[in-house]
Amino acid sequence: MKLEILFIVLPLALVAIIFQFVPLLTRRGIFFSATVDPEFPQSADGRRLLRSYRLQAALWTVLTFALAALSATTRPAFGASLPVLLLVAGIGFSYWLKFREVHERYGLRRPEVREASLSPAEETASIRPWLVIPPFVAIAAAAFYLNAHWSQIPHQFPVHWGVNGQPNRWASRDFAGVYGPLLTATIMDLLCLGFAWALLRMSRKSMMRYVTVRMLEVLLYPLTLTFVVVSLLPLMRIPLWLAAVVLFAFIAGIFFWSYRKITAPSGLDEVPEPQNDSYWKAGVFYYNPHDPAIFVSKRVGIGYTVNFANKMSWVVLVGILLIALLPALLMRK
Amino acid sequence: MSSGLTLRIDLDSGVPAYRQIVDGLRILLVSGKLAPGSELPSVRRIAVDLGVHFNTVAEAYRTLAGEGWLELLHGRGATVIERDAPAANPEKVTEFRHRLRALVAEMQSQGASAAKLSVELRNAANELDV
Repeated sequence: MKLEILFIVLPLALVAIIFQFVPLLTRRGIFFSATVDPEFPQSADGRRLLRSYRLQAALWTVLTFALAALSATTRPAFGASLPVLLLVAGIGFSYWLKFREVHERYGLRRPEVREASLSPAEETASIRPWLVIPPFVAIAAAAFYLNAHWSQIPHQFPVHWGVNGQPNRWASRDFAGVYGPLLTATIMDLLCLGFAWALLRMSRKSMMRYVTVRMLEVLLYPLTLTFVVVSLLPLMRIPLWLAAVVLFAFIAGIFFWSYRKITAPSGLDEVPEPQNDSYWKAGVFYYNPHDPAIFVSKRVGIGYTVNFANKMSWVVLVGILLIALLPALLMRK
Repeated sequence: MSSGLTLRIDLDSGVPAYRQIVDGLRILLVSGKLAPGSELPSVRRIAVDLGVHFNTVAEAYRTLAGEGWLELLHGRGATVIERDAPAANPEKVTEFRHRLRALVAEMQSQGASAAKLSVELRNAANELDV
């Protein structure tokens, strides 16, 4: 029971801490997703708004922790998902209020001057094969190994463990049970590559695009490592804690590198895409029917969001969802 | 050939995006900065970068192709081609004169002297004359 509470408290605490720092993870000249003077966040009004947001976020956190404690005793099946959802919605609401205030009282309107490179070479900024092929080689090697040692695989083996460390889901020695994790890894890796490919063609050139594409390339490694380790568990005794440490170190490394790159003078200081604030609904949803770009760099955090006014964006979102669900659909018996 | 060149438009300007694209590209073509053989990016690439509709860029490319500057490449971009300068059409010269007079009047009303405007016009013509 104590471990279960930990599994509810940890995600909540993590989300609460992240939200305390979210307003700071943005480019110069953007504050609570609104366009402002680059010096505004350091002004008295800027600091007051940040303090007020953080206080509201802390209150939402306390409220959600109370709800989580209540649900842990009455509805433990909900786990951390419902409290986390409530926390995100509550702090999201506070963020929206701040966006509105900053936009209406302190917002600037930058001229929408756009520039296009006339060099065709710009289009070929590509995914690096030498970096993305090794994970697929690792998946193929694991598949060959499993095939070669098929008879040594137990008829039933654990594939999922509960918080108490005891297995709570088992798989059989058949195609889905043995190769399922590798198939999932392949689909997830292809999804990352597909997203990187689409970004290079359907977004504007920027430091954010460079960082996101590189992040997606490198993300193949922890993804592949996870599923290859899981696929080999019936044959090998791999200490899961070691795999978890390697995985965590890898992901932390990727984010540290991305953060450094984005906050470098050519990153966050890069002039943001000159979009009118009115295209950003609640400061986080981009809706611009005149913009053919499907992906636009987010105003807060690292990465991209879609242009919700573009029909193709919805096709892309549904496509990503279907592909992400594909392994589960294929493996259904 | 076209490396380092950029096309810039102002979406807040009263001038339609299509006109800004045609004018911007024509300046590069007339000045020789976009020389025959240069390849231009695809319509999709330019449209995404400028944040304008694909048809706006496609129409601009078609206009310049109609003037004999570009050869359109299906599904790709366009290539700058050799072009023989046509003899100046009297109607076009008359239209130019009207537009120029309107521009000169606008600038003089803002305080620019005739001598200053004359220098500006000579410089612009010399810069584009290759």
